[in-house]
Amino acid sequence: MEEDIKKNDNNEFENLKKQLEEAAAKRDEYLCGWKRERADFINYKKEEIKKIGQLIKYANEELILKILPILDNFYLAEKHVPEGKEFTDGFLQIKKQFENFLAKEGIEPIEVMGKKFDPNLMEAAEEASGATDSANSAESGTVVEEIQRGYTLRGKLIRPARIKVAK
Amino acid sequence: MSKILGIDLGTTFSAMAVVESGEAKIVENKEGARTTPSIVAITKSGERVVGVLAKRQAVTNPHNTIFSVKRLIGRKFSDPEVQRDKKLLPYEIRESADGGVDVKMSDKWLNPAEISAMILQKLKTDAEAKLGQTITDAIITCPAYFDDSQRKATKIAGEIAGFNVKRVINEPTAAALAYGLNKKKDEKIVVYDFGGGTFDISILDIGSDTVEVKATGGDTHLGGDDFDQRIMDWIVKEFKKDNGVDLSKDNLALQRIKESAEKAKIELSSSLETEINLPFITSDQSGPKHLLYKIKRAQFEEMIQDYLDKSIELVKKTMKEAGLEPKDINEVVLVGGQTRMPKIQEDVKKFFGKEPNKEVNPDEVVAIGAAVQGGILQGEVRDVLLLDVTPLSLGIETLGGVNTVLIQKNTTVPTAKTQTFSTAADSQTSVEVHVLQGERPMAEGNKSLGRFILDGIPPSPRGLPQIEVSFDIDANGILSVSAKDKATGKSQSIKIEGSTGLSKEEVAKMKKEAELHAEEDKKKQSIIEAKNMADSLVYTSEKTIKEAGDKIPPEIKKTVEEKIEALKKAKESDNIEDIRAKTQELSEAIQKAGAELYKQQPNQPSGGEDKPKDNEEPKAEEGEYKEK
Repeated sequence: MEEDIKKNDNNEFENLKKQLEEAAAKRDEYLCGWKRERADFINYKKEEIKKIGQLIKYANEELILKILPILDNFYLAEKHVPEGKEFTDGFLQIKKQFENFLAKEGIEPIEVMGKKFDPNLMEAAEEASGATDSANSAESGTVVEEIQRGYTLRGKLIRPARIKVAK
Repeated sequence: MSKILGIDLGTTFSAMAVVESGEAKIVENKEGARTTPSIVAITKSGERVVGVLAKRQAVTNPHNTIFSVKRLIGRKFSDPEVQRDKKLLPYEIRESADGGVDVKMSDKWLNPAEISAMILQKLKTDAEAKLGQTITDAIITCPAYFDDSQRKATKIAGEIAGFNVKRVINEPTAAALAYGLNKKKDEKIVVYDFGGGTFDISILDIGSDTVEVKATGGDTHLGGDDFDQRIMDWIVKEFKKDNGVDLSKDNLALQRIKESAEKAKIELSSSLETEINLPFITSDQSGPKHLLYKIKRAQFEEMIQDYLDKSIELVKKTMKEAGLEPKDINEVVLVGGQTRMPKIQEDVKKFFGKEPNKEVNPDEVVAIGAAVQGGILQGEVRDVLLLDVTPLSLGIETLGGVNTVLIQKNTTVPTAKTQTFSTAADSQTSVEVHVLQGERPMAEGNKSLGRFILDGIPPSPRGLPQIEVSFDIDANGILSVSAKDKATGKSQSIKIEGSTGLSKEEVAKMKKEAELHAEEDKKKQSIIEAKNMADSLVYTSEKTIKEAGDKIPPEIKKTVEEKIEALKKAKESDNIEDIRAKTQELSEAIQKAGAELYKQQPNQPSGGEDKPKDNEEPKAEEGEYKEK
């Protein structure tokens, strides 16, 4: 009789111990999962903050890329304007205004003339054959003509310069 | 555990993606772009360049700039495809010792797989730099029609690049994976892939755990670039007609035209008309010439309709090969940038009689799918905790029967939200909290989840008591709403079970109703808002007049009283213009009264409860209970 009770007690004790162990294991699992979620969330936040920083820095990039073709056309027009007229001066003043605006926003034109062709900053549109004077005298692989100006935004390339390169 | 990189090794472009915290996302390359041109070159100075850099120098170095190598990989030199491409490619190819293809690059003969490996290697390096960890495992995609030899060559390319290629999977399968269509069983899926240079159609059969390619078809030389060419041809023709100048001989002009043709094509996917504006395109003896044309979407669609018809013909042919009818198809997936064109989406929809899947960026969907496959192979490292969202918004009814939302729909649960409200009448001692679910702005249009009364609020002027209402949804979707009077600390609450447990149909129905009634609800809501504002102004005006007594000149007082009466009357109707006009009139009158008061007491500090505040919008977080 007494032994039975003892046995029962023992059984119950074992049972409780097992339950306790299971509960502890579950607790650890959940705590671990929760910590992971917290960590994921904090990491996510950090990443987002970083992304937003980047975004602000380059947010204007897309807009500027859309504006640049207008300036390109200005340069094209400049080649055709008659010299020495008051109207021309005014026209060129608008161009200057445009350039100043870009400079203020951290956008700088890429210097290419006479430089060696560099695909990191330039895109070759054509190879200049020997027909033109500039190409004749230029060393092979150097830029002889700028077709479309390239730009960097705070050091990052936003549009490569399109150039003619000496053959 | 290192990540598995999913790679879409394309004919013209490649893209890569990884799974991060359970979600696949594109990995940008070193240049910050989401896709990389599949071009490799050895520059004149002997340097190897890949991607956009190779593209930029292509003109100066056509014989050593290798593109479209995917068209050659794993093929026999005698293959008719290879023979056809041989004529189009500016670089040299020859038959290799084993009957395959060799490509000449910078005096060396290379296997196409070696060239693909250079692209893959760049992707690997860029991904490692971006992700800050070593990447060894990769999933690479290939067209469904690739044979064993082509697949093997693709795998070898990956291995040369230093990858442990886990799998080479079909592009259409990857696209289906990106949409999670692998979870559907026994479904037939059509993948319509219209890229820049190739058109592929694939029919997949999703089994219990297999994806079988039932049939493939397409045209390896039909793509979006052909569309650009049509616009270019049109511009050149028009310009010749109008100016007598043939721009097709002018390389620089052609480059500008090509650029704007592509831009126009893209713009016509979102707008009905676009402009091609190229000043100073050329010049002759008479001076500079400018190019300016408008092109309409319909006009463009007509230009390329034969291509679209051809693509649908190819779809029909492939369907026939698979022995299927359009009605047998469960899902349609769009891949490739050209499928952004509305007419293509329309034609595909018309043919299959169902809306195609197109939400994932069609340029990226294959890479995304490859990354998803990587995620599946890796087996989610740990169980993803699936969190529910509230399908509909939850809120309470406020003054005038307005539904004030506390928890927006699609909020991930568990979540809690607290907002402070006040009373609508003087000496109001109890408020009723009526909990609502739904998207309609007026309380009556929504589902009532329950209501309770909080009483014992000490009598005070309207707007003064602060009653904090809290909504709390636990992970099981049980919503607890409590209201607490901040002054007395007295509170009441209610528990609502199954607030997220609406059936899909119910949710859809409620959302649809909200959409259907949006216009009328908005009108109703603005009337209520106008009435509430009028009500509030009448209240403060009456109070001001009463408290000011004879400090206000009788004629001003009389005007205010008249305006109050007028506004009270206007309030009874639903004429919103009238209510607003009368509110404005009263507001002006009471301002005059206020000014009089200040004139008489110049030394009194400004501010104070009773000062009439005119034209002030009620603050967003300050709702008011309707009177009990």
